[in-house]
Amino acid sequence: MAGWGRRAAWLLCVLGHFATSSAQETPAREPRQIVAEAAVLMDVDQQKVLVESLATSSAGEVVPLLNKWKEGEIYQYQDAAGNNLAVLLDGEPDSDEKFALVALADGKPVTAEDGKPVRMSKDDLYMADTDSKLRRVMKGVTDRLALSSPDTAKRLRAVQDTGLEQDLEKLPLLEQLAATEKSGKVKDALAEAMAMVKLRSEDMAARETAVKELGKMGSIASQGAIKTVRDEADKAGQVSLVAACDKAQADIASHISFVNSAGTLFRGLSLGSVLLVVAIGLAITFGLMGVINMAHGELIVVGAYTTYLIQNLFAAGINMSPFGIPINIPGMNLSGNAWGLYFLVAIPASFLAAAGVGLMLERGIIRFLYKRPLESLLATWGVSMVLQQLFRLIFGANNVQVESPAYLSGNWTVNDIVFGWNRVFVIGFAVLIIFLTWATLNKTSLGLLIRAVMQNRGMAACMGIRTERVNMMTFAFGSGLAGLAGAFLSQIGNVGPNLGQNYIVDSFMTVVVGGVGNIFGTVISALGIGMSVQSLEQILGDPVTGKILVLGAIILFLQWKPSGLFATRSRSLD
Amino acid sequence: MNHPLANKVPNLALAAIALFLVVGMPALNAAGSIEDFTLNTWGKYLCYAILAISVDLLWGYTGLLCLGQCLFFALGGYMMGMHLMLMIGKLGAYKSDLPDFMVFLGRKELPGFWEPFHSFPFAALMVFLLPGVIGGIFGYLAFRSRIKGVYFSILTQALTYGAALMFFRNELYMGGNNGFTDFRSILGADIRSPETRRMLYLASAITLVLVFMFCKWLTTSRYGLIQRAIRDSENRVLFSGYSAANFKLFVFVICAMIAGVGGALYVPQVGIINPSEMMTEKSLEAVVWVAVGGRGTLIGPIIGAVLVNYLKSWATTKYPDFWLIIMGASFVLVVLFLPKGIVGIPAQIREWLARREGRRAAAAEEELLTSAAKTK
Repeated sequence: MAGWGRRAAWLLCVLGHFATSSAQETPAREPRQIVAEAAVLMDVDQQKVLVESLATSSAGEVVPLLNKWKEGEIYQYQDAAGNNLAVLLDGEPDSDEKFALVALADGKPVTAEDGKPVRMSKDDLYMADTDSKLRRVMKGVTDRLALSSPDTAKRLRAVQDTGLEQDLEKLPLLEQLAATEKSGKVKDALAEAMAMVKLRSEDMAARETAVKELGKMGSIASQGAIKTVRDEADKAGQVSLVAACDKAQADIASHISFVNSAGTLFRGLSLGSVLLVVAIGLAITFGLMGVINMAHGELIVVGAYTTYLIQNLFAAGINMSPFGIPINIPGMNLSGNAWGLYFLVAIPASFLAAAGVGLMLERGIIRFLYKRPLESLLATWGVSMVLQQLFRLIFGANNVQVESPAYLSGNWTVNDIVFGWNRVFVIGFAVLIIFLTWATLNKTSLGLLIRAVMQNRGMAACMGIRTERVNMMTFAFGSGLAGLAGAFLSQIGNVGPNLGQNYIVDSFMTVVVGGVGNIFGTVISALGIGMSVQSLEQILGDPVTGKILVLGAIILFLQWKPSGLFATRSRSLD
Repeated sequence: MNHPLANKVPNLALAAIALFLVVGMPALNAAGSIEDFTLNTWGKYLCYAILAISVDLLWGYTGLLCLGQCLFFALGGYMMGMHLMLMIGKLGAYKSDLPDFMVFLGRKELPGFWEPFHSFPFAALMVFLLPGVIGGIFGYLAFRSRIKGVYFSILTQALTYGAALMFFRNELYMGGNNGFTDFRSILGADIRSPETRRMLYLASAITLVLVFMFCKWLTTSRYGLIQRAIRDSENRVLFSGYSAANFKLFVFVICAMIAGVGGALYVPQVGIINPSEMMTEKSLEAVVWVAVGGRGTLIGPIIGAVLVNYLKSWATTKYPDFWLIIMGASFVLVVLFLPKGIVGIPAQIREWLARREGRRAAAAEEELLTSAAKTK
């Protein structure tokens, strides 16, 4: 502890030195030239000065160079004139394990006097060594570079790391940075980091101020550090500091519980949205048409695999051979943002693919079973098994890889609450689907026909509506919505043959609880179930028990409202 | 068809089949004509047949498609399994009095609810009691609020799903994911010896015959009449002053117990029970057997269970990739074209012939009329 003042003085001295040296001695030298010079120096102090001088260069260049040095990839080569040269090994070794050499300073191949390239083996060269002191300086430089990185996210990371290190020597540096920092987020992080560093201050009053500050900030990162300070203060009998620590800890704990509940709420909302998107198609086929489609889950998988295929079409192409039939479709070999557009194509494609399968299902099987709902349950279950096995035979039993486009990955953090983009997207997508479904049912002529047929099939037929056709279109529409759900699930989880099975029970429960035949009820029940599952998971700390409890609660709920939240009123029996 | 013997023939055939299953098969096995493995496999089929009858009594006779019958089957199996686990004694891998999985979970002593399972009679009682009680509670809740039709199916599916999730957890001390296995002895006899296996087969066959006879009696009694009336028009039954809910609850509990017994006989024969036995797929599979065999009859489920499982054993070894497709597709075809299952085929043919005959007669009559009109 006694040494910190001296070390800080040394640091300031070095900083001062580096300020002058960079201004006077090394005008406009490239980092690689500086490293090349430093690597062959014999005097460690001179090396340090040179390395320190790198702190104002760009991190992108310096960090890899220093890493190479640290990892012993830089060698010393003595040329004919007796000059030491820092070199790198280049290319592949030949049969004698010899490499071509490249000068570090200018990147040119090293040649002998006769102009031929020099080849040497590792054993013939001296490695440019680093000792622990030099490595410390290097780390200081890289830390400094990271702290002043132009990339806000990287800078933020570096500031947070510095705070956790609690190295008092870095305090002046942080203060210096705080004075010039523009980004609000980084500024906050700097304040937090400085307070955390001050926790290690010798001055107990300073510690107490820092603790209070951290408590006010609700700094989650500083919990451990504050606990240490409290323990020390407790031992030393510093009552006011202990009290301050307790207060800060309580503040932080309440902040954490706020963050957690907000996070739970958000995750519940997104889980509810997933349920909603999965169940909305079912709300059409089951709720409106009364068809129990156990293959609904497989229609979801159709959508997910369609997304997978489209993704591959935008990349390397489709190359597989189901049942020994080779299918080779060359891809567009796009990458980056252009590739990311695949998802926009996949959305309508998965809708159409699932709607097509649904259409065939309706024409081939379900239309014969409208009067026998229990049997439609069984027949569609048979279909679901056939489809599952077909998926396995075509795409393999393992999950396939569907990568999210860049615009769907990443986070958005507000006040320590993390909002994943894909979850935000899930919620937005659910809203969009609900809106589309509502618009289709209430604002289009197809919707009018659907509602008419579902309310009274016989009467609608008498009015000249082709009920057969309407059934077909309705079922295809519901199936298409399942396909959309698949496209959407492919972005947040694995895509495999069993994907649909995981959601089938949940989505049936969602529709039943919401009240069959009522889209709005489905929305409410999906959000309700999603929220309850997430909150119970949070409270119990165990996802499975939560789920079991929710299933039990649903059974009890149906005691109270046997036909769901929003029952369709009817005078007819059965 | 009104000849007095005509009604006796099916009964005689049934008695002959029963006699063969109960006496013939074990005797042939003891004589060496039927392999031990075959007999064991048939024992398994007969347990499935018991399960199938319970599904049919609900679905075919009462109109309640229960997707949770395998839950009761598995519960019965678990009750028997608990006893068998305790009978392993110190022969397990950890040489402990506790079942292996408990040692593995770091448990020092037997959980309280395991204690009574040292006794076989208690385990046997629980085989009836637990499925009965769970079925009773669930049935009471469901029927009281008049949940019926597909809603009932979906709810039973949810019940099964929830129970399976629960049994997958280690904290329940029911073996978690792996369930119970590695049984050694039952009632003091080595569970793997051919003699014990034969006795287990015999027990399954006799139980099946008893269950069959019980269900035959039940469905032909006045109770059975109301049961079918509920299936065909529940509201009329209600308006006639019967409490449909109580009738349904009764049959639901009975069926849960039958399924439980099936499971209890099944577990010592296959030597394993785990939560995957109570997944919804298994219930649906049992429904497939009933649909294929012919629902609304008592012999149909037995035929269906044996036939489909026989087919399954054959196809999963010969065409493992295509078994699910065969089963799924045949199921779709049965639902579409054979609504009464295999048992209903003769009636369907007769009906078809009668229709054709009727059409032909109508055509002939019409021709006669037109020719008569012409001659005028």
